[in-house]
Amino acid sequence: MNFGVIRALVVKDFALFFRNRFYALITVLGIITYLVIYFVMPSSVDEELEIGLYAPVIPPFFELIQQEEGLKFHEYNSDQDLRQAIADRIHEAGVILPEDIMEQLASGQIPLVTLYFSTDAPDEIKDIVETMVKELAYLQTGQFLAINISAEILGPDLLGDQIPIRDRMRLMLVIMLIMFEMMGLASLISEEVEQDTIRALLVTPMSVRDLFTAKLLMGVSLAFIQGALFMAIVGGLNSQPSIILIALLLGSIMFTGSGFLIASLAKDMLTSMGWGITAILIYSIPAFGIMFPGTVTDWGRFIPTYYLTNIIHQASNINTGWSEIWVDLLILMVFNMLIVWGGIMALGRKFR
Amino acid sequence: MGEEAIIADRLTYFYNNLLAVDHICFHVAKGEILGFLGPNGAGKTTTVKMLTGQLKPKDGKAILLGLDVAENIERVQSKIGVCFEETNLYQRMSAIENLNLFARLFNVKSFNAYSLLARVGLSGREKDRVENYSKGMRQRLMVARSLVSKPQILFLDEPTAGLDPTSSEAIRNIILEERKRGATIFLTTHDMMEADKLSDRVAFMNQGKILALDKPLNLKQKYGKRALKAKVASKKGALESREIDLDTPQTAEELQNLFQNEKVVTIHSEEATLEDIFIKITGRGLTE
Repeated sequence: MNFGVIRALVVKDFALFFRNRFYALITVLGIITYLVIYFVMPSSVDEELEIGLYAPVIPPFFELIQQEEGLKFHEYNSDQDLRQAIADRIHEAGVILPEDIMEQLASGQIPLVTLYFSTDAPDEIKDIVETMVKELAYLQTGQFLAINISAEILGPDLLGDQIPIRDRMRLMLVIMLIMFEMMGLASLISEEVEQDTIRALLVTPMSVRDLFTAKLLMGVSLAFIQGALFMAIVGGLNSQPSIILIALLLGSIMFTGSGFLIASLAKDMLTSMGWGITAILIYSIPAFGIMFPGTVTDWGRFIPTYYLTNIIHQASNINTGWSEIWVDLLILMVFNMLIVWGGIMALGRKFR
Repeated sequence: MGEEAIIADRLTYFYNNLLAVDHICFHVAKGEILGFLGPNGAGKTTTVKMLTGQLKPKDGKAILLGLDVAENIERVQSKIGVCFEETNLYQRMSAIENLNLFARLFNVKSFNAYSLLARVGLSGREKDRVENYSKGMRQRLMVARSLVSKPQILFLDEPTAGLDPTSSEAIRNIILEERKRGATIFLTTHDMMEADKLSDRVAFMNQGKILALDKPLNLKQKYGKRALKAKVASKKGALESREIDLDTPQTAEELQNLFQNEKVVTIHSEEATLEDIFIKITGRGLTE
């Protein structure tokens, strides 16, 4: 490997990238815009609720309370299913009503209602759900009745440390920020092929390995520096910074590999943007799932960015440590290797 | 000239089932200029790609400066310069930046881009971005880029195509200077006049094969005919053309008749051009 050659190629790629007004603009404005979006978002929680429910017999006033309170219930067939949904953060809260709640209320007994909360459910949600359950009893009997409530948090308890919407959004913003560099890199490579400058490079003593190393370095450093800078400014590195930085680095490698794949498919800058936008839409789905819990279920695990977003979310918002995210890190590395290898192979074929 | 700079030994390439280069053999001596001529699709570009390490031959060998290209790509590429037909410069970089980049890729120490640019007539515009250059300026910069490493072998693909006479002449002078420096030059061109003027030998390629390879003069003697062309005034005052073949037993008599019996207005000798010879050999023109 010739480091002088790699350095010359990286300097050239950075110069060409920032001399393309469009990419220079979206890189600089992108980071500013995302910072502005982050800071104008409310720092407190304000959410509408969809609650998981397991009730063998559903009391008739449930529909009434949904209309009055604007709440939604999602029914589950078993206690286990409901627990899993809460653990997966599909809902922030779940309610289990005993099978004979109606009879117990009618006979003056004190029924036991079990509530489940996800690890990052805010205090307000917990208060709302407890109040709602008590109101159910009132609606049924016309007077306040004693109800035993058992509340359980599935996962680490974040009581007093809830996740504001902007911190959920932070993840989406940082992913979008580094993903745009994937599109920029793909366009840069497409331009190199389209203008045939790649052929001029390939008749010099530079090796193809040096060329790919330079492109990889350029893409990864551009994405990683922006991502790390953004996270540092918005406080995203306050907890588990080493995990987050490693995840951002792996994410930058993944998006650079994806940039290679896009460049191998694209014929020019326009088609590389088309493919790039398609990739961005798919890759951002898991981040949407973090912003809006319940929108992405198990199928999201097939998207490579699922593991990236999960690691960053767990580490930055829930302060999860190495012991709980190492499997996701491992899977992310495997996806990275596949994507980068595939990108280099596909692009190598195109160069030939 | 002696020692060989380029040896093509049964060089072959095919794209799927299409045979592009068909077991061609030739050599170019060190310091020689070889004009490589042929119509579009003849296999010239594929040959150049194999010689410069861009394509691996399907059969045969390309040997440059004693090195098998397929096995020593980087070593060979450090000794050659390539000027492509289509401009492939970094448009958003200046001429200086383009040249300095390639100097680093070739690991050239103490490179002076300014003097090279002055040599190709681009003084004063060194720091302008290439996107603001005219076609002629870009072509001159392409030639300059191929000279960055002072290559021992220079591959030039249509270096003067579409240029004005001044730019063309400037590039031809650079080619001759490079030959004087000792470089071997492999000149691919459609311009027969240029090939005739610059080349020590020319090769005619068609349908993947080399059909003729010799000095231009030898080819003309072998395939062409010499003639005298005259314009004579008729009795009614109009101009008429006369042509006298110089290589027949009747030449002297025909010449005598011409001057005795007709009023000669203009007269000049004409020898076969490379284009005439190419058509004679291949049955088709270069642009077909």
